[in-house]
Amino acid sequence: MRSYLLRRLVGMIVVIFLVLTIAFVLVRLAPGDPASLMLGPDASPDEVAALRGRLGLDRPILVQYATFLGNALQGDLGRSLFFNQPVLTVLANRAEPTIFLALFSLMVALVIATPVGIWAAYRRGSFLDQASITSAMLAASVPSFLTGLIFQRYLATDLGWFPASGYGGAGADFAERMRHLVLPSITLGITNSALILRFTRASMLDILGEDYVRTARAKGMTERRVVLRHALKNAGIPIITVIGLTFALLVSGAVVTERVFNLPGMGNLVVNAVLRRDYPVIQGTLIVVAGLYVLVNLATDLLYLVVDKRVRY
Amino acid sequence: MSGPASAAVAAPGFRKLLFQRPSSVVALAVFLAIIAACFLLPALGVTEIGGMSVRNRLIAPGGDHLLGTDAFGRDLLGRLLVAGQVSLGIGLGVALLSSAAGILIGLVAGFFRRLDTPLSRLIDALMAFPDILLALSLVAIFGGSMTNVILALSIVYTPRIARIVRASTLVIRELPYVEAARALGTRTPTIMVTHVLRNILSPILVQATFIFAYAMLAEAGLSFLGVGVDPRTPTWGIMVNEGRQYIDNAFFLILFPGLAIAISVLSLQIVGDGLRDALDPKLAKET
Amino acid sequence: MTFRATCRASAAVIALCAGGPLAAQGTVDVAIIGDPDTFDPMLSTKDVVSIVTQHVVETLYTFDEGWAVVPLLAADMPAISEDGTTYTIPLREGVGFHDGSTMDSADVVASLERWKDVASRGIAIADNIVRIEATGPHEVAITLDEPYAPLLSLLAFSNSAAAIYPEEIIAPEIDQVVGTGPYRLQAHEPDQYVQLVRFEDYAKPGTEAGERNQTPDEIRFVPVPDTNTRIEGLLSGQFDYADSLSTEAYDRIAASDVAEPVLLEAFGWPVFAVNHKKGLMTDPNIRRAVQAALPYDDMLFAAFGDEKFFQTDGALYPEGWAWHSDAGTELYNLNDPEKAAEYLEQAGYDGQPLRILTSRQYEFHYQMAEVARMALEMAGFSVQLDVVDWATLAQNRDNPDLWDIHITHSPFLPEPALTSSLFSTAREGWDDPAKNEILDRFTAETDPEARQAIYAELQQRVFEDVGMIKIGNFNALQGKARGLEGVHPSPWPAFWNAHRAE
Repeated sequence: MRSYLLRRLVGMIVVIFLVLTIAFVLVRLAPGDPASLMLGPDASPDEVAALRGRLGLDRPILVQYATFLGNALQGDLGRSLFFNQPVLTVLANRAEPTIFLALFSLMVALVIATPVGIWAAYRRGSFLDQASITSAMLAASVPSFLTGLIFQRYLATDLGWFPASGYGGAGADFAERMRHLVLPSITLGITNSALILRFTRASMLDILGEDYVRTARAKGMTERRVVLRHALKNAGIPIITVIGLTFALLVSGAVVTERVFNLPGMGNLVVNAVLRRDYPVIQGTLIVVAGLYVLVNLATDLLYLVVDKRVRY
Repeated sequence: MSGPASAAVAAPGFRKLLFQRPSSVVALAVFLAIIAACFLLPALGVTEIGGMSVRNRLIAPGGDHLLGTDAFGRDLLGRLLVAGQVSLGIGLGVALLSSAAGILIGLVAGFFRRLDTPLSRLIDALMAFPDILLALSLVAIFGGSMTNVILALSIVYTPRIARIVRASTLVIRELPYVEAARALGTRTPTIMVTHVLRNILSPILVQATFIFAYAMLAEAGLSFLGVGVDPRTPTWGIMVNEGRQYIDNAFFLILFPGLAIAISVLSLQIVGDGLRDALDPKLAKET
Repeated sequence: MTFRATCRASAAVIALCAGGPLAAQGTVDVAIIGDPDTFDPMLSTKDVVSIVTQHVVETLYTFDEGWAVVPLLAADMPAISEDGTTYTIPLREGVGFHDGSTMDSADVVASLERWKDVASRGIAIADNIVRIEATGPHEVAITLDEPYAPLLSLLAFSNSAAAIYPEEIIAPEIDQVVGTGPYRLQAHEPDQYVQLVRFEDYAKPGTEAGERNQTPDEIRFVPVPDTNTRIEGLLSGQFDYADSLSTEAYDRIAASDVAEPVLLEAFGWPVFAVNHKKGLMTDPNIRRAVQAALPYDDMLFAAFGDEKFFQTDGALYPEGWAWHSDAGTELYNLNDPEKAAEYLEQAGYDGQPLRILTSRQYEFHYQMAEVARMALEMAGFSVQLDVVDWATLAQNRDNPDLWDIHITHSPFLPEPALTSSLFSTAREGWDDPAKNEILDRFTAETDPEARQAIYAELQQRVFEDVGMIKIGNFNALQGKARGLEGVHPSPWPAFWNAHRAE
């Protein structure tokens, strides 16, 4: 157990180091001088030279790389060219809508997918099984910006059930801000529910095939009770695992969903950064999101270990 | 990870098993029909985009134009099929490229102990970047073009294949007949290709099917964000995005390309599910 | 949603809200197309910067609703010397800045000096300015080396504006903008909102400048880059005003009981800007071939969808403007591929691709480019359509090696000399001697009627030499909440009088 943890931690550190390296290399691979690229053609040679100095571009590449790593490990991901603030500050300001959007949409996806997935496994092979899975997959096959657009148009604008866009604006209280996340969370949740549904169904089928379930069945328990007593109790495992699995999916979905609903989150930030060529922000977002991914996966793995132990013994 | 069971499944098996899931057969037929329509009908001159005649813009479906006309008065069906070539091409390109790269990395990692750890960590690191986010960044740095979109998405999906190949390789290399081959002096590359690759083609095919579908969705998302493929080459994603401003006066402009994406992605996923169930029930747990 | 700040609170406040147009009224929410990346209008020519900053900083002069120059921070129109080179401008007294200081001639001189050094429109005439000096505590004088009629329009324009700041904050980069305007900047969350609040010590200008009643307590500008999202926000009652909407949404907005369309007739003109510095278009016959080949009416139709939203009109100013003239317009809308082919023949055109640079930031730019491409190819051109994102376009159009034509648009500006592409120093680099001679006469002439006649010559030359290719006139669509009044339709709508009708 301890050696597993140690191995896992060392592996994580290596992965984070690689993530940083990839992010560094990507921006350095950009054709042309990064400083003039960042400043645009209006910049004077003096300005370019000044930025080159500030970014340390005049030093050998390995020194730059070492500095970059050192700064990143101290939480310094550079300064945004557009906001003229540290990248980490900019990202922190945008974290709230993205984090809650991810949480809520995961909840929406679980609420849709878990019961349906268990039901589908319970009635495996039936028409209902096929139909529920197919419809969940269909919902996930429509580009999410289209789903969002249609929801926005009919549920928000025409019916007035939800705010159409934004995050409540200046001074909006917490409840008001969360109200603005309802429709985006449903949009993103539906898109992600198919994956969780299939996962739940498969895990359920596995559990239904386990020895103790067979024993219970052999003892004359009805299938329904088997599902409720044993299988459902173990649904925690697939849920934990799926959080790790869907993290990347949620982030990608959040980029598009935040754009549709004009939410001031990290996804919208990175799109604007791309459109403005704000490279430090692009690079910083990549690092932070990839770092989070690594942490989330470590956490789910550890959680899985804990839950798994309880299950097995 | 895929176990030895998948290694045991050979190509003839999946054909038989595919037919046990009629929905997969239907889905496969639908998908093949879409491919055929996109590549054959325009080539045979059955449909054509037609020149622009702006006075005929936004004609509703039916009549001379089966699916109506777009904002330039071009035939929507004709354009939809040509755009399909690009969208499907991107999906296929990403599926092929990420499979090729994934197989190579996975085989090397699985066969050469010393390279295993660094390559595995590299795979982990690449998996940490969400697809749209990495593609966005690459496009920001290298510019938006079909090649860059394919490259970016391939980088994102390569680790999925590489992981499977590596895991299978680790198992297969220890199988008695592979060890026997090695003892007989067969060279490592030969073993890789003849024994391992042949045995893991099926799970790769399953993954590649899903990657095909995800890549098409990701391309649509990138088009919406305004950083995808060059808009002169239409894709379904671009067409949906173009249609957004006509949502009131010509809903069909987003309906048809939207359906084209949804049906293609759905049928690919059903085919993938069917293949996976058929090849190895154990695999069904994975994404 | 709207006016919530005051109207929600109590009966007393509700009474205040109902007190008619002049009473204080909550918040006005305005959807704009992007974040104003600066609050210093000297440094920017973006419309979105002008829309926001006109509430915060003021200029010596401004335009009234009929686009005549009228005093704002100046007390009166300037006294112009006999030879037309010295403008003596009296300043209003007792005008306070947001930081509590009071404006005097030192502030104005320092601000105008900065404008001359950093604002693109200031730099363009910097060489003509001999000196800017304070001739009294509330009087400044600008001396030119020769008469320059557009000077007052430049001083009045909100874009690359000659904004007046306190002398103390003048620097190449101003971090915290301090102005004299009716609203001051309360908060700015980039990409989220700009919050302006009423400046209680505002010194109102004379009546010529138009009423600035400071009706709303607060004006909030919300950047919403996506057109569809702006429309949904407007129609769901989230915004009181929304800028720059697709004309395709006109009917839907008109049918709404929440919002109504605001159509700005003959708002502006899309133009194919020509690269005179390098490449194919430096050959006059190639330029004429493009001019002859373009299907102007089809391009407009594809871009704007309904004749309600555009006019096929070649004149550089539409009817109703003093600058309107038909000179040269016989070369407009020829739609004549044969003639274009003849010009190509004369030019010895060898099939080198004509590079058209555009983006989809404005969908109508791209739509016009697509239609143009087809017509140009029919006329014998080989066309390379470069559709890039906005940041790339903004970068590439400054590099004459990368394009032959780029597509842009402009509102009809109150003074023709504000159209910078007429000047040879602009990125298009149109350096035709005949045009330069006319332009010099035009900027030096001060008599309005004489200027109109010279402008007709200039327009003639634009067509003959194909200095730029105007495609037509288009109407812009904005939207406002039903019942919102006090906002004059403009490319740069102002909200200091916005209120709800009872």
